[in-house]
Amino acid sequence: MRHGRAFVLLTLIFATVAVYSQKSDSVRLHLNRYTLTIGTGWTHYINTLEIGGQNIQQDFAGVSLKFFWEPEHRLSLGMETGYYKLFSAKGQLTDNTTGQVDRSVIPLLFLIRMRIIENVHIGIGTGIAFITNKTAGGKQKVVTETLSLSNFELSGAYIYPLSKHWLLGGELKLFHFGNTEDTMYSIQATCAMKF
Amino acid sequence: MNIRNLYVIVLLMLTIGCNKESIVPVPTSGNNSFPDGTLPLPPASKPLMEGIYLVNTNTTIFGDTMVVKWNHSGILFTSKNGKHFIMDAGCLDSVILIRGYWRDGYSDATGLSNMSISGSEGGKDLIAGKPVAQIIIRGAFGTNNDAPNQTITLQYLRPFSIKVKESNFYILGHRAGGRNSERLPVSENSIAMVRFTERLGTTGIEVDPRISSDGVAFIYHDPDINTRLTQKGLLAGDVSAYTWLQLSSFVKLIHGERIPSLEEVLAFAIDSTELRFIYMDMKSAEAVPAVIPIQQRAIQRAKDKGRDIVILMGIPDTDVLNALLAYPGYRNVPSLCELEVEDVRTVNSKVWAPRWTLGTQNDLVQQMHDEGRLAVSWTVDSPVWIRNYLNQGIFDGLVTNFPYVVAYHHYIQE
Repeated sequence: MRHGRAFVLLTLIFATVAVYSQKSDSVRLHLNRYTLTIGTGWTHYINTLEIGGQNIQQDFAGVSLKFFWEPEHRLSLGMETGYYKLFSAKGQLTDNTTGQVDRSVIPLLFLIRMRIIENVHIGIGTGIAFITNKTAGGKQKVVTETLSLSNFELSGAYIYPLSKHWLLGGELKLFHFGNTEDTMYSIQATCAMKF
Repeated sequence: MNIRNLYVIVLLMLTIGCNKESIVPVPTSGNNSFPDGTLPLPPASKPLMEGIYLVNTNTTIFGDTMVVKWNHSGILFTSKNGKHFIMDAGCLDSVILIRGYWRDGYSDATGLSNMSISGSEGGKDLIAGKPVAQIIIRGAFGTNNDAPNQTITLQYLRPFSIKVKESNFYILGHRAGGRNSERLPVSENSIAMVRFTERLGTTGIEVDPRISSDGVAFIYHDPDINTRLTQKGLLAGDVSAYTWLQLSSFVKLIHGERIPSLEEVLAFAIDSTELRFIYMDMKSAEAVPAVIPIQQRAIQRAKDKGRDIVILMGIPDTDVLNALLAYPGYRNVPSLCELEVEDVRTVNSKVWAPRWTLGTQNDLVQQMHDEGRLAVSWTVDSPVWIRNYLNQGIFDGLVTNFPYVVAYHHYIQE
């Protein structure tokens, strides 16, 4: 709940700034450009597990894919997906049980991104996420899929234009998946094509 | 899209799912515990204390009357507005000491409480097992763990009416006796809740059987493992996809209990409580063939122990109904049907249980009574509706998340 309230507050601030910035623009360029961005990098799961969280692996590689519509020079709207492994637990999972549990997620988020200074963007996102839990142990392997409806992302990115159509950058982002209350962050290198 | 519309939509999306239920800690007894030398109250004294009491102080908080009712574990003081005291009692010389805590069923408010009945105000005679015409309970209540500092005085008004004493009305606690959203100190659908629920005034429980992937029936309300019901752990997703070993090893309920098997719950209710009614609200049709033998063993166990307890398979939908109809000898399976009265007759259910929104339906309930069946309604929570159902309806019981409110309105009837 703390995450949710903090996110609502940040969203209020962000959206207020965004709305204000739109009002202050005296010239609208109506660029209507689109960008397709791929990213890959390191992910870290913030371990707040109350049970079985003693010996989990929290660091993995993750990938992301984003599509942005840039109708104006400051704000962009888009969609993001990706694949992230959240954690892997192996060995003595509880006092009396051994096994392995892996949790991964595929988010599908609606994004709002705003350029705050030259080449630097901040963004927020919300949407759904498909969470997969693979459990081996306790005499059976079980795979479950969970649809999480309440999720959010906060991000900051530096995007440098190499040419008219190609951009390189780096991005730091924080995800929270509401159904399982999992939180992770990721640092990714990104490559974008503008068209 | 206008940016302001987008702003509103995003905010609306973000607010969904932010409402995690809170937990109200039970005040610790601390210096509110019984003094050395306090003895258990003689069993004969307990029913003599029960009845309707006038509240002489702090009536704005607790109303002007309270019901005092002993249960298997302690004594309940309950008012019409959801505020109630969960107390224990003992005697020291000629004084009856009453200790515990109060809580508000509709808010986070809680606090310690201590009370007593002096020897000259009824304590001496009650301890001796003699009826007393005038009982005064004096004491205090506080806020959270602070020492009780606000005065409360209760004056005995009358015993329970003949109507109440002769009725066999069931107060059925939802989800093994109480939901997590009612900020109780134990988890819903746990053994701990079955142990605790009588303190809230229940005389029966509703539980939610499911079945694990290896065929073990257990009780758990939701279809998935989530942080509303469980501590954050390694498992996620469909709870019935897991084996019983996985569930019992990897999952802990919100207050740290493990998920109980149905067999454990029934055995505990029979052996360790005075509950008289168990309503197994089947959460999956697949569980029906596994639950029936467990139900049969539990009924035999209760019979062997001389327990007066009704153990029924709940039929909440047509899938469960069809699964039961496919079972040989289904008419002999003791059941409770939430569907139409024709379905009740088809499966020969002992109890008809319509949803509360359908109203009191006295004509249909009377038909059930004429056929030798009972009728209970679920899940009645509003104090207004509870009062209306008890005053205007002829149901034999109510499933509720606020058993102390039902207890007040039931026991206060004249």
